[in-house]
Amino acid sequence: MGTGHRRFEFHATFSGLDEGLDILHDSVDRLRRATGRGPDDRALMLFETALGEIGSNVLTHGKPAGTERPVEYTLRLDGHGVVASLTDSGPRVHEHLSREMPGHEHEDGRGLAMARSLLDELGYERDGEVNRWKLVKRL
Amino acid sequence: MTVLAPTGRLDVAGAPALKYAIGEAVKNGPPKVVIDMEGVSFVDSTGLGSVISALKQIRGSQGELRLAAPNQQVRVVLELTTLDRVFPYYATVEEALTGF
Repeated sequence: MGTGHRRFEFHATFSGLDEGLDILHDSVDRLRRATGRGPDDRALMLFETALGEIGSNVLTHGKPAGTERPVEYTLRLDGHGVVASLTDSGPRVHEHLSREMPGHEHEDGRGLAMARSLLDELGYERDGEVNRWKLVKRL
Repeated sequence: MTVLAPTGRLDVAGAPALKYAIGEAVKNGPPKVVIDMEGVSFVDSTGLGSVISALKQIRGSQGELRLAAPNQQVRVVLELTTLDRVFPYYATVEEALTGF
C-alpha cells in the first residue's frame, strides 16, 4: 500500500542510550497513529525492528569518549514508504553490508544482518567525521 | 521450576536484567526455566543474545529452557535468525509447563 499524500516528518537529537531508544520507538508509534496503522502492521513492525538494531548500534558505538555531538535522527514518509536517517560521530563502520547472520551459538553480531534483511534499503556512508545511515521500508 | 516474566523491551537496555535473573536461577541446581514473553513488547538482537546466553547457562547446568507466549515481533525475529529451531516456543505458559 502506498503512503499517498500523507505527510509525516519527525526530527530529534539525543545522546543517552535509554533516551535514544525511547525516542526511536516513540517516533514509530507516532507514525502509526499518523497513518492509521495498527500495532500489528507488519511492514512497520519490521521497520521498527531494523531501526532498533541500527539505533542501538549508533547509540552504543557512535558516541566515542570525549565527543559532545548528539545523534541526529529524522523519520519521514515519502511517496512509497518510510525513511529514517541517523547521523553519528563514531568511528567508520566496516563491512556493514556484508556481515552474515552468525550461527545459533553466538550471542551477538546479528544486528546489521537483521536490519539488512528487514529493510528494502540500508544505506551507509562515511561523510567526513560522521556516519550517515539511511533506512528505507516500503509500506 | 522457575518462570521469568520480563516486561517491556528486551533490548540492549533491558537484556542485562534477564541475564541476572537467569544467573540467579542457575545457582539453585539444574534449572527448569520458562521465560514468559507475554509482557515483552519488543526484542532486538541484544535481547536475543541474552536468551541465547540463558540457554547456554541452563544447559550447562543440565537444565532446560522454554519460551512462552512471544508476540508477533518476537516470533518474526526468532524466525529471521532461525533461532526458532533452537527455541521452540509455546503459545502459553501453561503449555510450556505441561510435561516440563
